[in-house]
Amino acid sequence: MQLPLSASLPTDADVIIVGAGPAGMSASIALAQAGRKVIVLDMQALPGGQIFRGLEANLAAGCETLELMNALGPTYAAGEAVIRAFRETPGIDFRPRHTIWEVRRDGTIGWLQGNRAGYLRADHVVLANGAMERPVPFPGWTLPGVMTAGAAQTLLKAGRMKPDGRVVLAGTGPLILLLAEQLRRLGVRPVLLARTDHLRDQLAALPRLRFAALGPVAKGLGWLARLRLARIPVRSGVTGIEALGQELVEGVRVWQGDRVRHVACDLLIVHDGIVPSIDLAQGAGLRIGWNDALQAWQPATTEDGSAVLEDGASLTGGPCRILISGDARCIGGADAAIAHGRHVAAVLLDAKGSGPQTLAKVRQSLVPRLFLEAAFPPGLSADLPTGSTTVCRCEDIPATALQELLRAGATDINHVRGLTRCGMGPCQGRNCAITLARMIAAESGAKPVPFRARPPVRPLPLQALAALAGVDPRLAEVVSLEDKPQVAVAVRSTDV
Amino acid sequence: MFVSVAHFGHMCTIHFNGSPITARQGETVAACLLRAGVTAFRRTPVSGTPRMPYCMIGHCFDCLVEIDGQGSRQACLVHVEDGMSIWPQDGAAAIPGEH
Repeated sequence: MQLPLSASLPTDADVIIVGAGPAGMSASIALAQAGRKVIVLDMQALPGGQIFRGLEANLAAGCETLELMNALGPTYAAGEAVIRAFRETPGIDFRPRHTIWEVRRDGTIGWLQGNRAGYLRADHVVLANGAMERPVPFPGWTLPGVMTAGAAQTLLKAGRMKPDGRVVLAGTGPLILLLAEQLRRLGVRPVLLARTDHLRDQLAALPRLRFAALGPVAKGLGWLARLRLARIPVRSGVTGIEALGQELVEGVRVWQGDRVRHVACDLLIVHDGIVPSIDLAQGAGLRIGWNDALQAWQPATTEDGSAVLEDGASLTGGPCRILISGDARCIGGADAAIAHGRHVAAVLLDAKGSGPQTLAKVRQSLVPRLFLEAAFPPGLSADLPTGSTTVCRCEDIPATALQELLRAGATDINHVRGLTRCGMGPCQGRNCAITLARMIAAESGAKPVPFRARPPVRPLPLQALAALAGVDPRLAEVVSLEDKPQVAVAVRSTDV
Repeated sequence: MFVSVAHFGHMCTIHFNGSPITARQGETVAACLLRAGVTAFRRTPVSGTPRMPYCMIGHCFDCLVEIDGQGSRQACLVHVEDGMSIWPQDGAAAIPGEH
Protein backbone atom coordinates (compact mmCIF):
# COMPACT_ATOMS: atom_id res chain seq x y z
CA MET A 1 0.00 0.00 0.00
CA GLN A 2 1.52 3.33 -1.03
CA LEU A 3 0.55 6.84 -0.08
CA PRO A 4 0.87 8.25 -3.62
CA LEU A 5 2.15 11.76 -2.87
CA SER A 6 4.13 10.84 0.20
CA ALA A 7 7.54 11.10 -1.43
CA SER A 8 7.01 14.68 -2.57
CA LEU A 9 5.81 16.02 0.77
CA PRO A 10 8.05 18.73 2.21
CA THR A 11 9.98 17.93 5.38
CA ASP A 12 10.71 20.11 8.42
CA ALA A 13 13.96 18.38 9.36
CA ASP A 14 16.20 15.48 8.45
CA VAL A 15 15.39 13.72 11.71
CA ILE A 16 12.73 14.29 14.38
CA ILE A 17 13.56 12.86 17.78
CA VAL A 18 10.87 12.28 20.38
CA GLY A 19 12.32 12.57 23.88
CA ALA A 20 15.28 14.56 25.21
CA GLY A 21 16.53 11.91 27.61
CA PRO A 22 19.93 10.20 27.35
CA ALA A 23 19.09 8.39 24.08
CA GLY A 24 17.42 11.34 22.34
CA MET A 25 20.09 13.82 23.41
CA SER A 26 22.97 11.54 22.33
CA ALA A 27 21.42 10.80 18.94
CA SER A 28 20.67 14.46 18.27
CA ILE A 29 24.18 15.60 19.26
CA ALA A 30 25.85 13.15 16.86
CA LEU A 31 23.42 13.95 14.04
CA ALA A 32 23.72 17.72 14.43
CA GLN A 33 27.52 17.49 14.61
CA ALA A 34 27.40 15.82 11.20
CA GLY A 35 25.36 18.72 9.86
CA ARG A 36 21.91 17.16 9.95
CA LYS A 37 18.88 19.27 10.79
CA VAL A 38 17.33 17.80 13.92
CA ILE A 39 14.13 18.67 15.78
CA VAL A 40 13.89 17.29 19.33
CA LEU A 41 10.50 17.26 21.06
CA ASP A 42 10.03 16.61 24.79
CA MET A 43 7.12 16.80 27.24
CA GLN A 44 9.23 18.52 29.86
CA ALA A 45 10.58 22.06 30.04
CA LEU A 46 14.23 20.99 30.32
CA PRO A 47 16.29 18.30 28.59
CA GLY A 48 17.47 15.28 30.59
CA GLY A 49 14.60 12.80 30.53
CA GLN A 50 13.41 11.24 33.78
CA ILE A 51 16.86 10.05 34.85
CA PHE A 52 18.40 13.54 34.64
CA ARG A 53 15.13 15.32 35.41
CA GLY A 54 15.63 18.89 36.61
CA LEU A 55 19.43 18.48 36.63
CA GLU A 56 20.12 21.60 34.58
CA ALA A 57 18.05 23.78 36.93
CA ASN A 58 19.48 22.12 40.06
CA LEU A 59 23.04 22.78 38.87
CA ALA A 60 22.18 26.38 38.00
CA ALA A 61 20.71 26.89 41.49
CA GLY A 62 24.19 26.46 42.99
CA CYS A 63 24.37 26.24 46.78
CA GLU A 64 20.56 26.32 47.07
CA THR A 65 20.44 22.71 45.90
CA LEU A 66 23.69 21.45 47.36
CA GLU A 67 22.05 19.10 49.89
CA LEU A 68 19.73 17.77 47.20
CA MET A 69 22.53 17.19 44.69
CA ASN A 70 24.58 15.37 47.33
CA ALA A 71 21.63 13.12 48.13
CA LEU A 72 20.89 12.38 44.47
CA GLY A 73 24.48 11.29 44.01
CA PRO A 74 27.13 11.12 41.28
CA THR A 75 25.10 9.08 38.76
CA TYR A 76 22.59 11.93 38.58
CA ALA A 77 25.22 14.66 38.39
CA ALA A 78 26.97 12.74 35.60
CA GLY A 79 24.19 13.81 33.23
CA GLU A 80 25.69 17.29 33.11
CA ALA A 81 28.09 16.38 30.27
CA VAL A 82 25.46 15.13 27.85
CA ILE A 83 23.01 17.96 28.69
CA ARG A 84 25.74 20.56 28.14
CA ALA A 85 26.72 19.03 24.78
CA PHE A 86 23.03 18.97 23.82
CA ARG A 87 22.66 22.67 24.62
CA GLU A 88 25.91 23.69 22.96
CA THR A 89 25.72 21.73 19.70
CA PRO A 90 24.45 24.02 16.92
CA GLY A 91 21.73 22.69 14.68
CA ILE A 92 19.53 21.08 17.33
CA ASP A 93 16.06 22.61 17.31
CA PHE A 94 14.86 21.72 20.84
CA ARG A 95 11.14 22.15 21.41
CA PRO A 96 10.24 21.59 25.07
CA ARG A 97 6.75 21.11 26.59
CA HIS A 98 5.53 19.22 23.52
CA THR A 99 3.41 16.13 23.93
CA ILE A 100 3.09 13.78 20.97
CA TRP A 101 -0.35 12.50 20.08
CA GLU A 102 0.39 10.86 16.75
CA VAL A 103 3.31 9.17 15.03
CA ARG A 104 2.97 7.92 11.46
CA ARG A 105 5.14 5.41 9.68
CA ASP A 106 5.88 7.99 6.95
CA GLY A 107 7.78 10.25 9.38
CA THR A 108 4.90 12.52 10.38
CA ILE A 109 4.50 13.60 14.01
CA GLY A 110 1.47 15.23 15.63
CA TRP A 111 2.47 17.56 18.48
CA LEU A 112 0.68 19.60 21.13
CA GLN A 113 2.05 22.49 23.15
CA GLY A 114 -0.41 24.19 25.47
CA ASN A 115 -3.41 24.69 23.21
CA ARG A 116 -1.46 24.74 19.96
CA ALA A 117 -1.07 21.63 17.86
CA GLY A 118 0.36 20.70 14.52
CA TYR A 119 2.21 18.24 12.34
CA LEU A 120 5.91 17.99 11.61
CA ARG A 121 7.57 15.70 9.13
CA ALA A 122 11.08 14.36 8.62
CA ASP A 123 12.90 11.68 6.65
CA HIS A 124 13.37 9.74 9.86
CA VAL A 125 11.76 9.68 13.27
CA VAL A 126 13.57 8.37 16.35
CA LEU A 127 11.29 7.42 19.24
CA ALA A 128 13.32 7.88 22.41
CA ASN A 129 10.36 8.26 24.73
CA GLY A 130 11.81 6.13 27.49
CA ALA A 131 10.21 3.84 30.02
CA MET A 132 7.48 3.77 32.60
CA GLU A 133 7.09 1.91 35.84
CA ARG A 134 5.35 -1.44 35.62
CA PRO A 135 1.75 -0.99 36.80
CA VAL A 136 1.15 -2.88 40.07
CA PRO A 137 -2.51 -3.49 40.81
CA PHE A 138 -2.87 -4.43 44.49
CA PRO A 139 -5.74 -3.74 46.89
CA GLY A 140 -5.81 -0.03 47.67
CA TRP A 141 -3.33 1.11 44.99
CA THR A 142 -5.61 3.94 43.91
CA LEU A 143 -5.65 5.57 47.38
CA PRO A 144 -4.11 9.04 47.66
CA GLY A 145 -0.76 8.56 49.38
CA VAL A 146 0.23 5.61 47.20
CA MET A 147 2.74 6.56 44.53
CA THR A 148 5.55 5.02 42.54
CA ALA A 149 9.27 5.24 43.35
CA GLY A 150 9.71 7.16 40.10
CA ALA A 151 7.12 9.70 41.24
CA ALA A 152 8.93 10.19 44.55
CA GLN A 153 12.20 10.64 42.66
CA THR A 154 10.63 13.15 40.28
CA LEU A 155 9.43 15.12 43.30
CA LEU A 156 12.98 15.07 44.65
CA LYS A 157 14.69 16.04 41.39
CA ALA A 158 12.22 18.51 39.91
CA GLY A 159 10.05 19.41 42.92
CA ARG A 160 12.97 19.70 45.37
CA MET A 161 10.89 18.10 48.09
CA LYS A 162 11.19 14.99 50.24
CA PRO A 163 8.57 12.83 51.91
CA ASP A 164 7.53 13.83 55.39
CA GLY A 165 6.06 11.47 57.99
CA ARG A 166 6.02 7.67 57.98
CA VAL A 167 7.18 6.27 54.64
CA VAL A 168 6.94 2.63 53.54
CA LEU A 169 8.75 1.45 50.42
CA ALA A 170 7.55 -1.77 48.80
CA GLY A 171 8.61 -3.69 45.74
CA THR A 172 11.82 -4.67 44.02
CA GLY A 173 14.58 -3.50 41.70
CA PRO A 174 17.60 -1.20 41.80
CA LEU A 175 15.48 1.97 41.71
CA ILE A 176 13.71 1.35 45.02
CA LEU A 177 17.03 0.59 46.75
CA LEU A 178 18.54 3.76 45.28
CA LEU A 179 15.52 5.80 46.39
CA ALA A 180 15.77 4.39 49.94
CA GLU A 181 19.43 5.42 50.06
CA GLN A 182 18.69 8.89 48.66
CA LEU A 183 15.98 9.39 51.28
CA ARG A 184 18.36 8.23 54.01
CA ARG A 185 20.90 10.82 52.87
CA LEU A 186 18.18 13.47 53.24
CA GLY A 187 17.40 12.34 56.78
CA VAL A 188 14.19 10.50 55.89
CA ARG A 189 14.03 7.15 57.67
CA PRO A 190 11.53 4.83 55.97
CA VAL A 191 9.65 2.77 58.58
CA LEU A 192 9.92 -0.27 56.29
CA LEU A 193 11.54 -1.36 53.03
CA ALA A 194 9.46 -4.38 51.98
CA ARG A 195 11.29 -6.25 49.23
CA THR A 196 9.48 -8.81 47.09
CA ASP A 197 12.76 -10.34 45.93
CA HIS A 198 14.72 -13.00 47.85
CA LEU A 199 18.40 -13.60 48.31
CA ARG A 200 17.78 -16.79 46.30
CA ASP A 201 16.83 -14.64 43.25
CA GLN A 202 20.19 -12.90 43.42
CA LEU A 203 22.02 -16.20 43.92
CA ALA A 204 20.22 -17.77 40.98
CA ALA A 205 21.18 -14.76 38.85
CA LEU A 206 24.89 -15.10 39.65
CA PRO A 207 25.72 -17.12 36.51
CA ARG A 208 24.57 -14.07 34.49
CA LEU A 209 26.90 -11.78 36.36
CA ARG A 210 29.57 -10.37 34.05
CA PHE A 211 32.48 -8.06 34.70
CA ALA A 212 30.52 -5.07 33.35
CA ALA A 213 27.86 -5.61 36.03
CA LEU A 214 30.25 -5.58 38.98
CA GLY A 215 30.16 -1.80 39.31
CA PRO A 216 26.35 -1.53 39.59
CA VAL A 217 26.24 -4.56 41.92
CA ALA A 218 28.89 -3.09 44.25
CA LYS A 219 26.96 0.17 44.32
CA GLY A 220 23.74 -1.64 45.24
CA LEU A 221 25.44 -3.59 48.02
CA GLY A 222 26.82 -0.32 49.36
CA TRP A 223 23.32 1.21 49.54
CA LEU A 224 22.02 -1.85 51.38
CA ALA A 225 24.90 -1.76 53.85
CA ARG A 226 24.25 1.90 54.64
CA LEU A 227 20.51 1.26 55.08
CA ARG A 228 21.39 -1.53 57.51
CA LEU A 229 23.82 0.71 59.40
CA ALA A 230 21.06 3.32 59.67
CA ARG A 231 18.83 0.57 61.12
CA ILE A 232 16.16 1.00 58.47
CA PRO A 233 14.06 -2.17 58.62
CA VAL A 234 14.39 -4.21 55.42
CA ARG A 235 12.33 -7.37 54.84
CA SER A 236 12.72 -9.59 51.79
CA GLY A 237 10.48 -12.26 50.37
CA VAL A 238 7.36 -10.12 50.71
CA THR A 239 4.53 -11.89 48.85
CA GLY A 240 1.85 -9.22 48.79
CA ILE A 241 0.69 -5.83 50.08
CA GLU A 242 -2.59 -4.01 50.68
CA ALA A 243 -2.93 -0.25 51.16
CA LEU A 244 -5.40 0.67 53.90
CA GLY A 245 -7.42 3.86 54.36
CA GLN A 246 -10.56 5.63 53.18
CA GLU A 247 -9.68 8.99 51.61
CA LEU A 248 -5.95 8.68 52.27
CA VAL A 249 -3.50 5.89 52.93
CA GLU A 250 -3.23 5.16 56.66
CA GLY A 251 -1.28 1.94 56.64
CA VAL A 252 -0.20 -1.08 54.74
CA ARG A 253 -0.64 -4.80 55.27
CA VAL A 254 2.44 -6.76 54.28
CA TRP A 255 2.38 -10.51 53.66
CA GLN A 256 5.38 -12.78 53.86
CA GLY A 257 3.73 -16.07 53.00
CA ASP A 258 1.20 -16.72 55.77
CA ARG A 259 2.62 -14.08 58.03
CA VAL A 260 0.85 -10.69 57.97
CA ARG A 261 2.24 -7.49 59.37
CA HIS A 262 0.41 -4.17 59.70
CA VAL A 263 2.45 -0.98 59.38
CA ALA A 264 0.98 2.49 59.81
CA CYS A 265 2.18 4.98 57.19
CA ASP A 266 1.47 8.34 55.54
CA LEU A 267 3.06 7.52 52.20
CA LEU A 268 3.40 4.17 50.45
CA ILE A 269 5.97 4.15 47.66
CA VAL A 270 5.83 1.15 45.31
CA HIS A 271 8.09 -0.10 42.53
CA ASP A 272 8.16 -3.25 40.42
CA GLY A 273 10.76 -2.46 37.81
CA ILE A 274 10.50 -0.40 34.65
CA VAL A 275 9.18 -1.37 31.23
CA PRO A 276 9.40 0.30 27.80
CA SER A 277 6.80 2.97 27.01
CA ILE A 278 5.07 1.47 24.01
CA ASP A 279 2.30 4.05 23.58
CA LEU A 280 3.81 5.88 20.60
CA ALA A 281 5.09 2.75 18.87
CA GLN A 282 1.71 1.13 19.34
CA GLY A 283 -0.16 4.17 18.02
CA ALA A 284 2.10 4.17 14.94
CA GLY A 285 1.06 0.62 14.10
CA LEU A 286 4.47 -0.87 14.89
CA ARG A 287 4.92 -4.46 15.94
CA ILE A 288 5.02 -5.02 19.69
CA GLY A 289 6.22 -8.32 21.16
CA TRP A 290 5.95 -9.88 24.60
CA ASN A 291 9.27 -10.33 26.39
CA ASP A 292 8.96 -13.27 28.80
CA ALA A 293 12.09 -12.43 30.78
CA LEU A 294 10.95 -8.83 31.31
CA GLN A 295 7.26 -9.81 31.67
CA ALA A 296 6.38 -6.82 29.52
CA TRP A 297 5.91 -5.65 25.96
CA GLN A 298 8.74 -4.34 23.89
CA PRO A 299 8.66 -2.96 20.33
CA ALA A 300 10.13 -5.27 17.72
CA THR A 301 13.30 -3.61 16.41
CA THR A 302 16.63 -4.54 14.89
CA GLU A 303 19.73 -3.90 16.98
CA ASP A 304 20.04 -0.66 15.00
CA GLY A 305 16.65 0.42 16.31
CA SER A 306 14.68 0.10 13.06
CA ALA A 307 11.05 -0.58 13.90
CA VAL A 308 8.89 -3.15 12.15
CA LEU A 309 5.35 -2.56 10.93
CA GLU A 310 2.64 -4.78 12.35
CA ASP A 311 1.04 -7.10 9.80
CA GLY A 312 -2.34 -6.26 8.41
CA ALA A 313 -4.05 -3.08 7.38
CA SER A 314 -2.82 0.22 8.75
CA LEU A 315 -4.19 3.74 8.80
CA THR A 316 -1.39 5.09 6.63
CA GLY A 317 0.85 3.64 3.93
CA GLY A 318 4.42 3.79 2.70
CA PRO A 319 7.70 2.49 4.07
CA CYS A 320 8.46 2.73 7.79
CA ARG A 321 10.72 5.66 8.67
CA ILE A 322 10.67 5.06 12.44
CA LEU A 323 13.53 3.99 14.68
CA ILE A 324 13.34 3.35 18.42
CA SER A 325 16.17 4.01 20.86
CA GLY A 326 17.01 3.89 24.57
CA ASP A 327 14.72 2.42 27.22
CA ALA A 328 11.75 2.71 24.83
CA ARG A 329 13.45 -0.03 22.78
CA CYS A 330 15.11 -2.10 25.47
CA ILE A 331 15.46 -1.39 29.20
CA GLY A 332 19.12 -0.74 29.95
CA GLY A 333 19.39 2.54 31.86
CA ALA A 334 21.13 5.80 31.03
CA ASP A 335 24.50 4.45 29.85
CA ALA A 336 22.86 1.96 27.52
CA ALA A 337 20.53 4.68 26.22
CA ILE A 338 23.46 6.99 25.47
CA ALA A 339 25.28 4.15 23.66
CA HIS A 340 22.22 3.30 21.60
CA GLY A 341 21.41 6.93 20.78
CA ARG A 342 24.92 7.31 19.38
CA HIS A 343 24.56 4.10 17.43
CA VAL A 344 21.26 5.15 15.87
CA ALA A 345 22.90 8.39 14.77
CA ALA A 346 25.84 6.45 13.25
CA VAL A 347 23.42 4.21 11.38
CA LEU A 348 21.42 7.16 10.06
CA LEU A 349 24.62 8.89 8.99
CA ASP A 350 25.85 5.66 7.46
CA ALA A 351 29.27 6.56 8.81
CA LYS A 352 31.73 4.00 7.54
CA GLY A 353 33.43 2.07 10.31
CA SER A 354 31.52 3.89 13.02
CA GLY A 355 28.52 1.51 12.99
CA PRO A 356 30.31 -1.63 14.21
CA GLN A 357 32.13 0.43 16.86
CA THR A 358 28.99 1.99 18.26
CA LEU A 359 27.18 -1.34 18.08
CA ALA A 360 29.86 -3.02 20.20
CA LYS A 361 29.28 -0.35 22.86
CA VAL A 362 25.52 -0.94 22.73
CA ARG A 363 26.03 -4.67 23.36
CA GLN A 364 28.43 -4.06 26.21
CA SER A 365 26.13 -1.50 27.83
CA LEU A 366 23.28 -4.01 28.01
CA VAL A 367 25.33 -6.71 29.79
CA PRO A 368 24.58 -5.64 33.41
CA ARG A 369 20.88 -5.83 32.61
CA LEU A 370 21.07 -9.62 32.18
CA PHE A 371 21.93 -9.99 35.85
CA LEU A 372 19.60 -7.28 37.17
CA GLU A 373 16.59 -8.68 35.32
CA ALA A 374 17.06 -12.10 36.92
CA ALA A 375 18.07 -10.76 40.34
CA PHE A 376 14.95 -8.59 40.72
CA PRO A 377 12.02 -10.43 39.11
CA PRO A 378 8.57 -8.75 39.10
CA GLY A 379 7.00 -9.18 42.53
CA LEU A 380 4.06 -6.90 43.29
CA SER A 381 2.57 -7.69 39.87
CA ALA A 382 3.48 -11.40 39.89
CA ASP A 383 0.01 -12.55 40.94
CA LEU A 384 -2.87 -11.24 38.85
CA PRO A 385 -5.39 -9.09 40.74
CA THR A 386 -8.65 -10.62 41.93
CA GLY A 387 -11.92 -9.53 43.49
CA SER A 388 -12.49 -5.83 44.03
CA THR A 389 -8.88 -4.80 43.25
CA THR A 390 -8.96 -2.05 40.64
CA VAL A 391 -7.45 -2.97 37.27
CA CYS A 392 -8.41 0.15 35.27
CA ARG A 393 -7.75 3.23 37.40
CA CYS A 394 -9.47 5.65 35.01
CA GLU A 395 -12.76 3.80 34.74
CA ASP A 396 -12.70 2.22 38.23
CA ILE A 397 -13.01 -1.32 36.88
CA PRO A 398 -12.41 -4.13 39.39
CA ALA A 399 -10.76 -7.42 38.47
CA THR A 400 -13.98 -9.32 39.13
CA ALA A 401 -15.89 -7.49 36.35
CA LEU A 402 -13.22 -8.46 33.84
CA GLN A 403 -12.96 -12.05 35.07
CA GLU A 404 -16.69 -12.42 34.56
CA LEU A 405 -16.31 -11.48 30.88
CA LEU A 406 -13.35 -13.78 30.43
CA ARG A 407 -15.32 -16.67 31.93
CA ALA A 408 -18.12 -15.84 29.49
CA GLY A 409 -15.69 -16.46 26.63
CA ALA A 410 -14.15 -13.10 25.74
CA THR A 411 -10.64 -13.59 24.34
CA ASP A 412 -9.97 -10.37 22.41
CA ILE A 413 -8.57 -7.48 24.45
CA ASN A 414 -10.15 -4.88 22.13
CA HIS A 415 -13.50 -6.56 22.54
CA VAL A 416 -13.22 -6.44 26.34
CA ARG A 417 -12.29 -2.76 26.08
CA GLY A 418 -15.37 -2.05 24.00
CA LEU A 419 -17.67 -3.87 26.40
CA THR A 420 -16.29 -2.59 29.71
CA ARG A 421 -14.45 0.68 28.89
CA CYS A 422 -11.33 -0.87 30.45
CA GLY A 423 -8.54 1.13 28.78
CA MET A 424 -10.85 3.84 27.41
CA GLY A 425 -10.25 6.45 30.11
CA PRO A 426 -7.84 9.38 29.90
CA CYS A 427 -4.71 7.22 30.33
CA GLN A 428 -5.75 5.14 27.30
CA GLY A 429 -4.75 1.85 28.85
CA ARG A 430 -1.23 2.80 29.91
CA ASN A 431 -1.98 1.51 33.42
CA CYS A 432 -4.32 -1.41 32.76
CA ALA A 433 -3.41 -2.91 29.38
CA ILE A 434 -0.65 -5.12 30.73
CA THR A 435 -2.86 -6.47 33.52
CA LEU A 436 -5.90 -7.14 31.35
CA ALA A 437 -3.73 -8.72 28.65
CA ARG A 438 -2.11 -11.02 31.21
CA MET A 439 -5.52 -11.98 32.59
CA ILE A 440 -6.66 -12.93 29.09
CA ALA A 441 -3.40 -14.77 28.39
CA ALA A 442 -3.75 -16.72 31.64
CA GLU A 443 -7.07 -18.09 30.33
CA SER A 444 -5.98 -18.74 26.75
CA GLY A 445 -2.36 -19.77 27.22
CA ALA A 446 -1.31 -17.37 24.43
CA LYS A 447 1.09 -14.43 24.84
CA PRO A 448 -0.39 -11.16 26.10
CA VAL A 449 -1.51 -8.89 23.24
CA PRO A 450 -1.84 -5.08 23.68
CA PHE A 451 -4.83 -2.93 22.76
CA ARG A 452 -5.08 -1.71 19.19
CA ALA A 453 -4.22 1.99 19.49
CA ARG A 454 -5.35 4.81 17.24
CA PRO A 455 -4.33 8.44 17.23
CA PRO A 456 -4.66 10.68 19.13
CA VAL A 457 -2.76 8.62 21.73
CA ARG A 458 -2.93 11.56 24.16
CA PRO A 459 -5.79 13.99 24.79
CA LEU A 460 -5.96 16.71 22.16
CA PRO A 461 -8.13 19.76 22.96
CA LEU A 462 -10.72 20.52 20.26
CA GLN A 463 -9.51 24.10 19.91
CA ALA A 464 -6.00 22.82 19.18
CA LEU A 465 -7.33 20.33 16.66
CA ALA A 466 -9.43 23.02 14.99
CA ALA A 467 -6.37 25.21 14.42
CA LEU A 468 -3.81 22.56 13.45
CA ALA A 469 -0.59 24.04 12.11
CA GLY A 470 1.66 22.53 9.46
CA VAL A 471 -1.11 20.55 7.88
CA ASP A 472 -0.56 19.41 4.37
CA PRO A 473 -3.92 18.22 3.01
CA ARG A 474 -2.19 15.09 1.77
CA LEU A 475 -1.26 14.25 5.35
CA ALA A 476 -4.92 14.08 6.24
CA GLU A 477 -5.39 11.19 3.85
CA VAL A 478 -6.15 7.94 5.52
CA VAL A 479 -5.51 5.00 3.24
CA SER A 480 -7.59 2.51 5.12
CA LEU A 481 -10.05 2.20 7.92
CA GLU A 482 -9.71 -1.55 7.83
CA ASP A 483 -7.65 -1.68 11.00
CA LYS A 484 -10.58 -2.58 13.23
CA PRO A 485 -10.10 -6.02 14.70
CA GLN A 486 -12.51 -8.76 13.92
CA VAL A 487 -14.16 -10.13 17.03
CA ALA A 488 -14.30 -13.84 16.57
CA VAL A 489 -15.93 -14.86 19.84
CA ALA A 490 -19.44 -13.86 20.71
CA VAL A 491 -19.78 -13.09 24.39
CA ARG A 492 -22.73 -14.81 25.91
CA SER A 493 -23.12 -12.55 28.90
CA THR A 494 -26.09 -10.23 28.41
CA ASP A 495 -25.74 -8.02 31.44
CA VAL A 496 -22.81 -5.93 30.14
CA MET B 1 3.23 14.58 53.11
CA PHE B 2 6.19 16.45 51.53
CA VAL B 3 8.57 19.18 52.67
CA SER B 4 11.03 21.32 50.73
CA VAL B 5 14.65 20.22 50.53
CA ALA B 6 16.08 23.32 48.86
CA HIS B 7 15.45 26.99 49.46
CA PHE B 8 12.98 28.69 47.17
CA GLY B 9 14.35 30.80 44.35
CA HIS B 10 11.89 32.92 42.39
CA MET B 11 8.41 32.63 43.78
CA CYS B 12 4.94 33.21 42.43
CA THR B 13 1.39 32.63 43.62
CA ILE B 14 -1.18 30.20 42.31
CA HIS B 15 -4.68 29.56 43.62
CA PHE B 16 -6.19 26.20 44.48
CA ASN B 17 -9.86 26.04 45.41
CA GLY B 18 -9.67 29.82 45.63
CA SER B 19 -6.88 29.86 48.24
CA PRO B 20 -3.43 31.27 47.44
CA ILE B 21 -0.40 28.93 47.45
CA THR B 22 3.21 30.02 47.14
CA ALA B 23 4.90 28.28 44.20
CA ARG B 24 8.46 28.10 42.93
CA GLN B 25 8.95 29.31 39.36
CA GLY B 26 9.76 26.35 37.13
CA GLU B 27 7.97 23.68 39.14
CA THR B 28 4.95 21.72 38.01
CA VAL B 29 1.45 22.33 39.32
CA ALA B 30 1.43 18.80 40.77
CA ALA B 31 4.65 19.32 42.74
CA CYS B 32 3.39 22.63 44.10
CA LEU B 33 0.03 21.19 45.21
CA LEU B 34 1.68 18.18 46.88
CA ARG B 35 3.98 20.46 48.86
CA ALA B 36 0.91 22.44 49.91
CA GLY B 37 -0.61 19.22 51.26
CA VAL B 38 -3.31 18.68 48.62
CA THR B 39 -4.20 14.99 48.48
CA ALA B 40 -7.40 14.92 46.38
CA PHE B 41 -6.53 16.33 42.96
CA ARG B 42 -9.64 14.85 41.42
CA ARG B 43 -12.53 12.49 42.06
CA THR B 44 -13.19 9.83 39.45
CA PRO B 45 -16.31 10.16 37.28
CA VAL B 46 -17.34 6.56 38.05
CA SER B 47 -17.04 6.08 41.82
CA GLY B 48 -16.19 9.56 43.06
CA THR B 49 -13.13 8.28 44.91
CA PRO B 50 -10.29 10.76 45.44
CA ARG B 51 -7.02 10.52 43.50
CA MET B 52 -3.55 11.94 43.92
CA PRO B 53 -0.65 11.85 41.43
CA TYR B 54 0.63 8.28 41.11
CA CYS B 55 3.38 8.39 38.44
CA MET B 56 4.33 12.10 38.11
CA ILE B 57 5.55 11.55 34.53
CA GLY B 58 2.40 11.91 32.46
CA HIS B 59 1.27 8.29 32.25
CA CYS B 60 -1.38 7.77 34.94
CA PHE B 61 -3.67 10.80 34.43
CA ASP B 62 -4.65 10.71 38.10
CA CYS B 63 -3.42 14.30 38.57
CA LEU B 64 -6.12 15.79 36.32
CA VAL B 65 -7.26 19.22 37.50
CA GLU B 66 -9.01 22.24 36.06
CA ILE B 67 -6.56 25.04 35.22
CA ASP B 68 -7.79 28.51 34.26
CA GLY B 69 -11.17 27.12 33.26
CA GLN B 70 -9.88 24.20 31.21
CA GLY B 71 -10.53 20.72 32.55
CA SER B 72 -8.52 17.49 32.33
CA ARG B 73 -5.12 19.19 32.48
CA GLN B 74 -2.27 16.95 33.68
CA ALA B 75 -0.94 18.77 36.75
CA CYS B 76 2.37 16.88 36.51
CA LEU B 77 3.06 18.29 33.03
CA VAL B 78 1.85 21.89 33.44
CA HIS B 79 4.23 24.43 34.98
CA VAL B 80 3.04 27.02 37.47
CA GLU B 81 2.39 30.56 36.30
CA ASP B 82 1.71 33.53 38.52
CA GLY B 83 -2.02 33.96 39.12
CA MET B 84 -2.99 30.53 37.84
CA SER B 85 -6.40 29.39 39.08
CA ILE B 86 -6.67 25.67 39.78
CA TRP B 87 -9.67 23.64 40.89
CA PRO B 88 -9.91 19.95 41.69
CA GLN B 89 -11.70 18.00 38.99
CA ASP B 90 -14.76 16.36 40.49
CA GLY B 91 -15.97 13.74 38.06
CA ALA B 92 -15.79 14.36 34.33
CA ALA B 93 -14.27 17.62 33.08
CA ALA B 94 -16.72 20.46 32.59
CA ILE B 95 -16.80 21.85 29.07
CA PRO B 96 -16.80 25.67 28.98
CA GLY B 97 -20.23 27.02 28.00
CA GLU B 98 -21.85 23.67 28.68
CA HIS B 99 -23.97 24.88 31.60
